[in-house]
Amino acid sequence: MSLASDTYFLFVRALKKVMRNPILLFFSLLQPIIFLVLFTQLFSRFVGAPGLFPPGISYLEYATPGILLQNGFSSALQSGTSIVDELNSGMLEKMLVTPVNRSAILLGRLLSDAFRVVVQSSIILVLAYILGFNAASGAGGIILILVIIAFFGLAWSGISLAIGLRTRSAETVFGIGGFLTFPLLFMSTSLVPLKAMPDWIATVSNLNPISYAVNAVRGLSLPSSALPGLGLSYPGDIISALGYIAAIAIITLGATLYLFRKVVK
Amino acid sequence: MPETISVQDLVEVYSDGTKAVDGISFEVNEGEFFGFLGPNGAGKSTTIKVLTTLLRKTAGKISVAGFDIEKHPEEIRRVIGVQSQETVVDPDLTGRENMMLEGHLHQMSGDGLKKRVDELLTLVGIADVADKRAGHYSGGMKKRLDLASALVHKPKLLFLDEPTTGLDPQSRAAIWGYLSKLNKEEGITIFLTTQYMEEADKLCERLYIIDQGKIVASGTPESLKREVGADSITMTLENSGVATQTKEKAKEVLGAIQGISKVIESDAGITVYARNASLIIADIVRAFDSNKIRLTSVNFASPTLDDVFLQHTGRRIRTEELNTKQTSFARFGARRRPVRQ
Ligand SMILES: Nc1ncnc2c1ncn2[C@@H]1O[C@H](COP(=O)(O)OP(=O)(O)OP(=O)(O)O)[C@@H](O)[C@H]1O
Ligand SMILES: [Mg+2]
Repeated sequence: MSLASDTYFLFVRALKKVMRNPILLFFSLLQPIIFLVLFTQLFSRFVGAPGLFPPGISYLEYATPGILLQNGFSSALQSGTSIVDELNSGMLEKMLVTPVNRSAILLGRLLSDAFRVVVQSSIILVLAYILGFNAASGAGGIILILVIIAFFGLAWSGISLAIGLRTRSAETVFGIGGFLTFPLLFMSTSLVPLKAMPDWIATVSNLNPISYAVNAVRGLSLPSSALPGLGLSYPGDIISALGYIAAIAIITLGATLYLFRKVVK
Repeated sequence: MPETISVQDLVEVYSDGTKAVDGISFEVNEGEFFGFLGPNGAGKSTTIKVLTTLLRKTAGKISVAGFDIEKHPEEIRRVIGVQSQETVVDPDLTGRENMMLEGHLHQMSGDGLKKRVDELLTLVGIADVADKRAGHYSGGMKKRLDLASALVHKPKLLFLDEPTTGLDPQSRAAIWGYLSKLNKEEGITIFLTTQYMEEADKLCERLYIIDQGKIVASGTPESLKREVGADSITMTLENSGVATQTKEKAKEVLGAIQGISKVIESDAGITVYARNASLIIADIVRAFDSNKIRLTSVNFASPTLDDVFLQHTGRRIRTEELNTKQTSFARFGARRRPVRQ
């Protein structure tokens, strides 16, 4: 009972904080928007190269899922800075002297992170739509895409929160987040298909969780005729991708919960 | 009167080995205005953190509001209100939203909560800025908001860690006003820590003086002052900082004057205690003059809690406070935030 209501109130609080700092929201959207506009122009002719891309899809259609996940990934990686702020400002202690449900503090934060990723993804989707992107699976597919991205974001929020709780340093969270984002992005199938990669990058990409999540989103956004050309089977690969994301989320959220319990006790 | 806080042999050792509280025992009665007076690093905040369930005790036996602190921390959290030493408000929420959230976390809701919040905003005098973001408040306004949010759920027991440090005299007087009112009219038990002698003297019915993790004196402000039993004369000497020999000489001269009960040296100068200090001032001045010791100031005072502190610890709380502040400022000035446990 108090878990639900406490989570709700803390979720609303976290959202208000995000909405009242639109500048931060703007900057975290700036990068994916630049990617969306610039990359889809820059690489638009690559799709003509024989054998790399399945016929009939544009680079925009190919890359939008990748850009969506990159945004979900990098903003989730910053979410640990918020818990560092709560720790250092004394806000966490202020909450801990109330009877608030302890898990609600973490849950409210995670839900608001997920919500934020959904809002940002929707904005990117609208922009992509304006540029000519369309999801093959329709409105239901879009909702499922947003759920996948939010869930994927949760897994990385967990990592970021764990780093924040462990180091109590916003700089470290930022540093590690920034350090991970680009290598993981470029060594995935977000922007470049597997066939176009050198072997060693393809190997990394096959282990890279971003690739799995991107595959799951592509399974919903591209016409099913295009999937075999990318080495994807429907729905088998989508289901295995979701399983992979879920496994990561369980590990990272478990670590976060463990560290949080240690701080709270 | 039943006691609402009982502490026996509390010891608190931080993970780095600092023994912040070193075996203190005390009781606070229901309805009492109780004070902990001590200089920087005495262990005041540490004690409050233990009593408010934020820090686990190293050793000792503690009950708060009738509940054992280890066994029933949730019950304790329901009935206490806490204002920590560092002012904590959410800068992105308005004053009202800060308070509503606090109420919600105490399972309050609806019109009852709204009314309570309005009432408190008015009480602490920030109703006119209630819908402005708290991040834009002045320091004193934040502090008042923080106090008000500690009161939302009508706590039976209020913990205040230096609630007026850093406030201007008017704001301080205003806060003293509400606190007395809360204690007298609503019967709330208050546990207050302070470094200010006047504050402890004015508000607290009973007082413990704590220094370096130990209790050095306790009693009502009156009884503590009576213990000193004498007026004080504090003198500063020309060049006393440079030449210790001047100070030695001065103490020798003072030793020869009849009627002086005690001579204490501190950073502020030399303080002597005497039953009828006003009569002795002339003797002191004459004796110093004939020994070519020059005085830069002479202050006469009836006993205060400051004297109690000085007598028990050999230090003056005020100058001590100023000195530590200055050195720590110089040393840590570049650091952004205090490191907290
Ligand atoms: N988290 C911590 N880790 C290690 N030592 C600490 C920690 N917090 C406080 N201390 C030490 O414990 C001692 C008591 O500190 P405490 O904060 O209780 O003092 P205080 O009486 O509240 O002082 P002040 O008036 O400056 O607030 C100090 O020596 C301080 O350095
Ligand atoms: Mg303190």
